[in-house]
Amino acid sequence: MPKVVVDAMAMQRALTRITYEIIERNKGVDDLVILGIKTRGVYLARRIANRLQQLENVTVPVGDLDVTPYRDDIDHDGPSDPEVTVENLDFSVAGQKVILVDDVLYTGRTIRAAMSAVMALGRPKSINLAVLVDRGHRELPIRADFVGKNIPSSQRERIKVSVSEIDDRDAVEILKA
Amino acid sequence: MAKRYLILEDGSAYAGEGFGAGATTSGEVIFNLNLLGYQETITDQIYHNQIIIFAQPAIGNVGINHDSYESILPTAKGMVVRDLTNISTNRLSRLSLDEFLRQHNIPGISGIDTRHLIRKLRQAGPMKGSIVDVADAHAFDQLNATVLTNRQVDQVATPKPYPNPDAGKNVVVIDFGLKHGILRQLSERRCNVTVLPWTATAQDVLNLDPDGVLLSTGPGSPLDLGTDVLDMIRQVQAEIPLFAIGLGHELFALANGAELVALPVEYHGSSHPIRRIITNDVLYATQGQGYAVVAKSIDRDRLITTYVDLIDGTVQGLRHRDFPAFSVQFFADGAPGPHESRDLFDEFMEAMTAREG
Repeated sequence: MPKVVVDAMAMQRALTRITYEIIERNKGVDDLVILGIKTRGVYLARRIANRLQQLENVTVPVGDLDVTPYRDDIDHDGPSDPEVTVENLDFSVAGQKVILVDDVLYTGRTIRAAMSAVMALGRPKSINLAVLVDRGHRELPIRADFVGKNIPSSQRERIKVSVSEIDDRDAVEILKA
Repeated sequence: MAKRYLILEDGSAYAGEGFGAGATTSGEVIFNLNLLGYQETITDQIYHNQIIIFAQPAIGNVGINHDSYESILPTAKGMVVRDLTNISTNRLSRLSLDEFLRQHNIPGISGIDTRHLIRKLRQAGPMKGSIVDVADAHAFDQLNATVLTNRQVDQVATPKPYPNPDAGKNVVVIDFGLKHGILRQLSERRCNVTVLPWTATAQDVLNLDPDGVLLSTGPGSPLDLGTDVLDMIRQVQAEIPLFAIGLGHELFALANGAELVALPVEYHGSSHPIRRIITNDVLYATQGQGYAVVAKSIDRDRLITTYVDLIDGTVQGLRHRDFPAFSVQFFADGAPGPHESRDLFDEFMEAMTAREG
């Protein structure tokens, strides 16, 4: 029986708070670019950009990062770290403050690959990480700057994030393995 | 029931039937447009020294219950209603409105043409009034000689700190005449609350090492409270997540350089759509305000406007640019009124959690 740990209202609130925290931390939205990590991070990134647009009346560029097929419910014994490629990026990241957005922060390997992909494009002024869920079990020294909700989890559990753009609703659920 | 009068400082007198206490009282006459929640309204300390006209024509029909008190000792000066319904079939009702008003020495008057009265007040603006037994020259002389205090907060807010213990987040509430709805929302979220008098200094607040600070609702003008409280807010907001409601919101705005204007007519109701700017959606909430933040005076380098009233255009919410400090003009506890803005208390909880990291 899946357990809903973040419902639609709570997800909206989390994204709203993250948006305000981004403004607080960056002293505004100048030189900000947002990169969403596929699949669901892309939609979360757009929602944050929409919120910034509403508040500040400024269009913050949004791009997508594509991760090669990678699932967090199979063991990674081999040396198969995810690979990240850049999509829909018609702006430069050089000198910009990059906000990476992903749905779940787990081992940190996706984020490391995403940072490498961003660095390959140019030298950003800074990279910050925003995640909807931090479930722990990091394998790399990576932490998020903006966290929607910390969900301490067992590695046998699966965290499922649904977003209304492609799923039937907004929710974060824990599925027992 | 005895014949009594509502008299106004413009010289008019309205005859009606007295109910509740037989006291003669004077106060500022205002009107409330809420359809529901007369018990919360009459017990809310924002109505200190005010005579409340209820636009809803049938008042009294759900009696008085255990769950809807917004203060222990209400200090409103009177109720003006069109029809008093003294029979309640509500299962929660413990006593009638009439008995309740007698207990608290608050007079009521019924059989008044409240629509006419509200129209008049909308045009004429704020007026003093009295509920009296005889509407003679002497009564008007008394009314005109009445000087209403501007120390409302001192009259109703706690002079001493007190705890409302629980096992969760440590929250300091600064009391400007708070409504119990605020404490109820914090209790539902298991907050360990300490209520401090409004004269508390920043050091008094910080000594309690709170996870969050809430500035409460209250009566009267924020401009009468001096500048010490503004210093306190500026120091506290830089250290601790802060949430301010009603009068607290007005003080938060003042503390951050914004200006306030007295509204030509106080607004008490819950029928205005309020736009939440960040998500561009609309919610409804109970509002009760005599002052509004002047939109043009907001320093955009310090504050972000977060909510706006779509009917009168007033600023309904602010957030500090540098700190997790935010405020709303409307009553987020939803007592009485729509509950959809109670979400703001969850926002406050999450702001406290986020700060712990």
